[in-house]
Amino acid sequence: MLMAKARTVTGLDLQASTGENARLIAQTRLDELYGWERYVDNPYHIRELHNMRIAAKRLRYTLEIFAEELPESVAPLLKEVEQIQEELGSLHDSDVVIALLRLCLGAQDGGSGYEYVLAHARQLKKKADFLVNPALIAYVLDPAAAPSADERHGLEALLQDLHKRRGSQYTAFRKHWNRLNKRNFRQELLDALAGPAQQ
Amino acid sequence: MQMQDGSVRAAIDVGSNTIHIVVARCAPADLAILADEQELVRIGESVTATGEISAQKRDDAIATLTNYKELAACYTNTPLIVVATEAIRRARNSQQFLAAVKRETGLDILIIDGEVEALLTFYGATYELYREPHAPALVGVLDLGGGSMELVLANRKRITWHTSVPVGSGWLHDRYLQSDPSTQEDQEVARTFLSTYFTGMPLPELPPALIATGGSANSLLLLARRAIGLDEQETRLTYEQVVRCEALLSDLDAETISERYDQPLKRARILPAGALIIHALMLRLQLGEIRVSTHGIREGALLAYARYGDRWLQRVKKNAGGADDDAPAEESQVSEEQDGSFAQTGYRLLLERTHKMLEWREEVLKHEDIEAVHKMRVASRRLRAVLDAYEAACDAKQFRRVYRRVKEIADILGEARDTDVMVEGLQQRLEREEEKARPGIQWLIDRLSAYREAHQVKLEAFLRKLDDETLAQQMASLRAKGNAHGKG
Repeated sequence: MLMAKARTVTGLDLQASTGENARLIAQTRLDELYGWERYVDNPYHIRELHNMRIAAKRLRYTLEIFAEELPESVAPLLKEVEQIQEELGSLHDSDVVIALLRLCLGAQDGGSGYEYVLAHARQLKKKADFLVNPALIAYVLDPAAAPSADERHGLEALLQDLHKRRGSQYTAFRKHWNRLNKRNFRQELLDALAGPAQQ
Repeated sequence: MQMQDGSVRAAIDVGSNTIHIVVARCAPADLAILADEQELVRIGESVTATGEISAQKRDDAIATLTNYKELAACYTNTPLIVVATEAIRRARNSQQFLAAVKRETGLDILIIDGEVEALLTFYGATYELYREPHAPALVGVLDLGGGSMELVLANRKRITWHTSVPVGSGWLHDRYLQSDPSTQEDQEVARTFLSTYFTGMPLPELPPALIATGGSANSLLLLARRAIGLDEQETRLTYEQVVRCEALLSDLDAETISERYDQPLKRARILPAGALIIHALMLRLQLGEIRVSTHGIREGALLAYARYGDRWLQRVKKNAGGADDDAPAEESQVSEEQDGSFAQTGYRLLLERTHKMLEWREEVLKHEDIEAVHKMRVASRRLRAVLDAYEAACDAKQFRRVYRRVKEIADILGEARDTDVMVEGLQQRLEREEEKARPGIQWLIDRLSAYREAHQVKLEAFLRKLDDETLAQQMASLRAKGNAHGKG
């Protein structure tokens, strides 16, 4: 799946301290994360939630890479960013397997709209916007290795179970996000970034 | 002689590796050394590990400073000059450290910046050379400390260029050479890092003579005397002698180096890193030999005091800004990059992150543990985060090329990792699922595993073709715009 490109940070001063610039970068990455907030309430905005995960990851890495240069008060808030990234990561992992299973089971039904993917998967560009890598789809769905009836039965059970699991993963993420909003986490992190520099 | 009329003064340098005192009778252009001692406290070790000066390091430093205060009192009752450099500059708790030292010893420590450090080192390291009748016109001075190195170029005693680089022997050891003895692979990674870093370091000219100072350079000279029969009076080290010393050190653990060559154990641990740095810099400067001086920042501070009096630090700061009395402002250049500036940190981070990513390549090729792919992919993501942060500071064309390359690496690793995650998740499910679901899960695991094996072949071919040197050089090339002063 295509990732949203990181925003270019403007206003950097190459000869200023790393700390000053790191704050600007972190603020940009924080804005980037909150740019996806409007999708939080819809569990099926899979692509946007995935992009939100990437934005959380970028913010996390920025805070880690420049940890020594940012105010000390930033460090405790990093854990929340990590948790958001992990929650969205689990959600994405489930989404990928669910999509793959739907393709598997749909393909076995025949004529269910997956023909195009099946027929063209090997030719599709890797960077195309697919939740599941087309090369992997083509490999897994090789008609020569189609699942038996028992195996299909098992895959159906797995798909149902994954749907339930995905639901609870989403609920956990959303609850966490709402908790963060209640305490105004965004402002909290902005305030921490504006705090006194480390000596 | 003027020296006999000079006042006696003591200067202490609190460095990343050592705390060093010199007591001397001082004149503006000469010193008569009366006492010279150093203690290897390695404050930089705890700063590199945790970002702070640990309580143990603080107490060790206070004990050493207390002893030095007593030593200085045997010669003079003038106030001590105490300066601190990279480790204290970097430590988050440096202010608490200064307060504790003040409380326990009454000493005021001055934290000096990289430029002042470079100038003081130059004054200290060259005053003996300039007493010689045929001193070379163009001279370079290297002060190799634990946390950073200062490099100064001077023409006819006028400083023409200087820079502070955040790479020191303690730092290199802590980042790259932690096993004891270090492995061949670690040494190779450290060499590649240094070579790439120094290749990308812009130099206005190559000095025909280099004076190296600092603990590692002096310990290397001692090692050469003890291990390869260098004359006791000789202060020059040839390239071949440096290479021989480096080879000796590379196979030995710190305890053996310490015992065999009579080096303090803490110094023995970081000496191989110091030798690697000196070797790499000699290659960069195309030098057949270096001179080693025991003098540096402390002697420089004493000379500056003798020259400028109580306002010595302000005058040196002014000189660092290009207004040296010995060098007209129009002939003096300020450092290419400010110590700790965003441009300089970025350059270092890019190289470090590139090496960290490439470190995992062999493990990925072994294909024994799925964690190796995960680690290498995370490292590639962190490298991309650094690239994203520095995009505005880089040449746009070079940046796009490097970014594309790193993305390719991340993508191919990503395909492997995503499949590993699916297989791992399904395997865990297989153990706890009801009987009816198992055949389906096993079928999917088999299909994914077969795909993963096929992808491994592709991944290995890609990684074997990946040229570390080229990638590191491409990273180094991003520096072009990063050198420019002004807004990014």
